[in-house]
Amino acid sequence: MATLGVVPSVPATGGDAATPRPAGEHDVNRKRLARLGWSFSTPAFLVIGAFTIFPIGFSVAMSLSHVNVSGSGFSLNGFTGSNYSTLVHAPQWRYALGFTVVYTIVTVLVEVILGTCIALVLERLTKGRGLMMALLLVPWSMITVISAELWGYIYDASYGVLDQIFHAVGLGQPIFLGTPTPAIVAMMVADIWKTTPFVAIIVLAGLVMLPEELYEASEMDGASGWTTFWRVTFPLLRPTIALAVLFRVLQAFGLFDLPFVLTQGGPGYSTTSLAVLGYQVMFQDLNFGPGAAVATSTAVLVLIGCLLFLKVFRAQVGEEGS
Amino acid sequence: MARTRARKGWHRYLNGVTVSTTAVAIFVLLPIYWLIVTSFKTPGAVGDNPPQYFPNPLSLTNYQVAFSQYTFGRYIVNSAVIAVIATFLVLGIGTIAGYALGRLPMRGKYPILLVLLMISVFPEVAVVAPLYLLLRDIGWLDSYQALVFPYTAFNLPFAIWILRNYMLGIPKEMEETARIDGASPLKTVWSVILPQALPGLFTAGIFTFTACWTEFLMALTFNSSNNYRTIPVGIALFGSQFTVPYGTIFAASVVSVVPIAVLVLVFRKSVVSGLTSGAVKG
Repeated sequence: MATLGVVPSVPATGGDAATPRPAGEHDVNRKRLARLGWSFSTPAFLVIGAFTIFPIGFSVAMSLSHVNVSGSGFSLNGFTGSNYSTLVHAPQWRYALGFTVVYTIVTVLVEVILGTCIALVLERLTKGRGLMMALLLVPWSMITVISAELWGYIYDASYGVLDQIFHAVGLGQPIFLGTPTPAIVAMMVADIWKTTPFVAIIVLAGLVMLPEELYEASEMDGASGWTTFWRVTFPLLRPTIALAVLFRVLQAFGLFDLPFVLTQGGPGYSTTSLAVLGYQVMFQDLNFGPGAAVATSTAVLVLIGCLLFLKVFRAQVGEEGS
Repeated sequence: MARTRARKGWHRYLNGVTVSTTAVAIFVLLPIYWLIVTSFKTPGAVGDNPPQYFPNPLSLTNYQVAFSQYTFGRYIVNSAVIAVIATFLVLGIGTIAGYALGRLPMRGKYPILLVLLMISVFPEVAVVAPLYLLLRDIGWLDSYQALVFPYTAFNLPFAIWILRNYMLGIPKEMEETARIDGASPLKTVWSVILPQALPGLFTAGIFTFTACWTEFLMALTFNSSNNYRTIPVGIALFGSQFTVPYGTIFAASVVSVVPIAVLVLVFRKSVVSGLTSGAVKG
């Protein structure tokens, strides 16, 4: 923190402020710097444009065309809305949409509540907090495919360890991945194991940055721990939690690796997310038009969700969040 | 920590905080324990019912199978080459772009930054099909560049954001001095800006590397031939449709989790700052 008045403040937009110079020279300098800026960003724009923006546009075009794919090439044969109407009338797509939405809401909700609780506990830990942080980073950095295989082994019907544990405590021998509802719950647990630490770390870092004095004031007022949390901690923490929610919702909505490896979307299509459905339609059925429609509609939904969230979030935290 | 009350006697060791911390640690650790332990069982014991909770005897057979019967060494090399090249590309391109968008008076840079942010959250499934057709047409399927360039493009936006935020905090005067001394713009970035933005480079680097190391969908779609499989694809495609060789899978998993875990643990400060402030500020 700079002492007020001693250190000259640095404008946020760095380059806009220049040391006092004659007006003409300043303008020339500014133009030169702007040109430099564009040439410095060109490589980034080229790579991003070619490998993300162009394919996104192409995906939209594909979803609105009759697509012909053969061994040697592909062609778009005229405009059509049929890909989307196929989608709306397909029970698989409607199921995948519902499944993805419910899955996202449940996992993110559990992860945020659990993650916040863990962060609150760890913040009070006097010794070994660094160690716990390190431990929490391990599931986060793990390849999702690996965690999916690991949970597949844990849930296995014939030699899974969880089966043994359930049997030992007298809960029978449930089939985890063979029936729809247990399979969905099992997948959520695997997801929660891998991503709750991520939420906990974000919230913990936010907690540590909160000013200490507020707690002292609240304690002196005789507020209970519960009141302090809801009245002091939570409102201040809201931007951090909102950020974690945003990250997680976006990630969960693109859910692919976990169902693809753990359940292959089954049993039936009970764990088929939008991304898995899109992949299957495109690369297993080689139906690129409807596949692109699945992919594009997923992206559009993410975008709408993102914008809505930012709007609510801005309204809640005011200038702080912008 | 003003809020931590001084505790006396056994309460110092056994209280709500330590008990819940231990519970969390166990929940996180148990599956990891199971992963490691299973990898050291004999292939026959992997399917035991009831399972061995401690491997007896300890065996390295699964590791041998992963590297001899399956070509897991090949997958590690592929993942490493692709992740390292993509990370360096992202840092190189991202640094100058972050500098430009952070410190140079470009018109319309805020809309650009917003577009970048949107791209970084776009679901991958929306681009795999067109990218697949594009890569097929230029003959890049099953090659390193088939993943290096998409990974670079997808990780650049976040890296640019992080680097830009770090660069906003560098005092203007340092740059001015270099300019007056007659240093070229690139030299200014290299000798003045880069040393100051080093923490940002670490954060962006670790995030990019981790993302490349763990990415599955594009790797599965573009590089499915055995010679160009990365670790996640290799692990997912081990075995056949009917038998899953868990012992081999877990041996391979342990080998591929270790480098990234070490990296993340060593640089955990950068990771945490990237997860939080780096992404929100600005």
